[in-house]
Amino acid sequence: MSKIETVDLTKNYGNLCAINKLNILCDNEIYGLLGPNGSGKTTTIRMLTTLLNPTSGSASVCGYDVMDNAAKVRNCISYVPQDMAVDIRLTGRENVTFFAKLYGIRNRAERQRRVDNAISVMDLSDRADDMTKTYSGGMRRRLELAQALVHEPEVLFLDEPTIGLDVAARRSIWEHIFSLRKSGMTVLVTTHQMDEAERYCDRVGILKKGVIVREGRPVQLKSDLMKDVIIIRANGGIPSTLPDGLTFIGDGDLEGEYIFTANHGSEVLPNLLRIFETEGVKVLSSFIREPTLEDVYMQSCGNGTEDLGSFDDRQFRNLMVRR
Amino acid sequence: MYGMFAYVERDLKRWMRAPMNVISTLAMPAAWLIFVGLAMPTTFTDNYLDFITPSILVLTMLSAGLSGGTSLMFDKVLGYLNKFLSMPASRESILFGKIMFITIRGLIQATVILAIAILIGATILPWYIYPEMYGILFLFGVLTSAFGTTVALYLGEHDSYAAVQAFISMPLFFTSSALMPYSEMPDWLAFCAHLNPVSYAIDALRSVMAVEFPITSISILLIGTVVMLAICMRIFRKVTVR
Repeated sequence: MSKIETVDLTKNYGNLCAINKLNILCDNEIYGLLGPNGSGKTTTIRMLTTLLNPTSGSASVCGYDVMDNAAKVRNCISYVPQDMAVDIRLTGRENVTFFAKLYGIRNRAERQRRVDNAISVMDLSDRADDMTKTYSGGMRRRLELAQALVHEPEVLFLDEPTIGLDVAARRSIWEHIFSLRKSGMTVLVTTHQMDEAERYCDRVGILKKGVIVREGRPVQLKSDLMKDVIIIRANGGIPSTLPDGLTFIGDGDLEGEYIFTANHGSEVLPNLLRIFETEGVKVLSSFIREPTLEDVYMQSCGNGTEDLGSFDDRQFRNLMVRR
Repeated sequence: MYGMFAYVERDLKRWMRAPMNVISTLAMPAAWLIFVGLAMPTTFTDNYLDFITPSILVLTMLSAGLSGGTSLMFDKVLGYLNKFLSMPASRESILFGKIMFITIRGLIQATVILAIAILIGATILPWYIYPEMYGILFLFGVLTSAFGTTVALYLGEHDSYAAVQAFISMPLFFTSSALMPYSEMPDWLAFCAHLNPVSYAIDALRSVMAVEFPITSISILLIGTVVMLAICMRIFRKVTVR
């Protein structure tokens, strides 16, 4: 029995198919769900956390079906949504105690022990009795993790845990997630940070328009994408014909920057430069590097950043309300 | 039940720690009590303050209940509700916790109003009257907070809710038996007042203060509360299970 298992899981919103026959299996690992905005990451998590009913197919968490046994599923999971929501007029400890009560931990001594433990695991002990409104963004996120952990869940769902945090806070959140996985927890996490997913996830699935287009260990996915990445900056478009053994991945960050991949980059590069020259396009710079998960992502999802049409205006309003 | 108490405790703490909220919601009923209760020239009673005190207590519960609808709405908008819904505590406990919190908050405010009324000269009643009064105020509080929460869940956003609240709260108060007895009203107003749930709460309070037991008013309030709770639960399920 896997901790998370979905079979042809599908969710339609009216005519729009948000998730199309999704099949994933996760067990004692950090599984990263990647994909553009609107690709269905949050919808997947909401179905697995019993907040949304699937249109068809099935999903089970800890062996319980999310539809038939929703209460049992809720008993073995914790969910931290991407909207950062802690009660700012309660102290850190009160926030965690409140959740411990909602998780049904009635014994006072046991509750205190678990609250103290969750707070210390998240390195918040010295600020636990301060009002949460004095906490920084990173501390608030860690407090949310402490709230989720007080329950000692088997499966933890995190929706963009590092959104809006600075580099040090991001790293600290990931280190904490990583140590949870070592203690045997299954973590399903969504993120837009490819470098973070590459470093910390055991496996990733890249979601595009509700379908998993790539899945595997980050190392494996990178090596599937041939060996080297070539980046060219030129004063014009890409040539119509490319040398053998070279694949175009997508546009780079800058105007006129193109990314290619090849098995032997240093051998293909002179050919490529020659072709640019014969087409009358001036090459400004070129260099070769190892592929990253971001290259895999770009090749899978293309350059279009958002899947249009499924923009969640409620989420947008949430952001506006909080400004 | 346990989950419900956790929600009530959280909301009460949050409310008590924002002193402006506590004071501002008291300002309107206190102003009514002092400026209208003490100043209104009346012929039908020689102690208008005693006449209007139950009305102001009900007004306090009414505005607490109607403004309470925003509480669950903000939990939803700010993302708390999604967390709560994924937790083992029963989903109904979220709703009942909210209704309970709004009602308790109203009762605390009503207590302050009652204390002010006594301070400025309202008659002190035998002790056993007060529990009966609180019982009626509690019932009315559950009714109005269930109503406010239902409307808030149904509308789903704050601006329209504020408009509805402003639109109904004062008219409800004026078309009730709050300011004058039925015998002093023009016929059309008496007709409205007899249809108005606010009148039933006020009449029930006045009856118990006159040491009677208002079985009809209380039964009508009770039926209204049960119906309102049923509607509220239906809307809540519809909004949360998709």
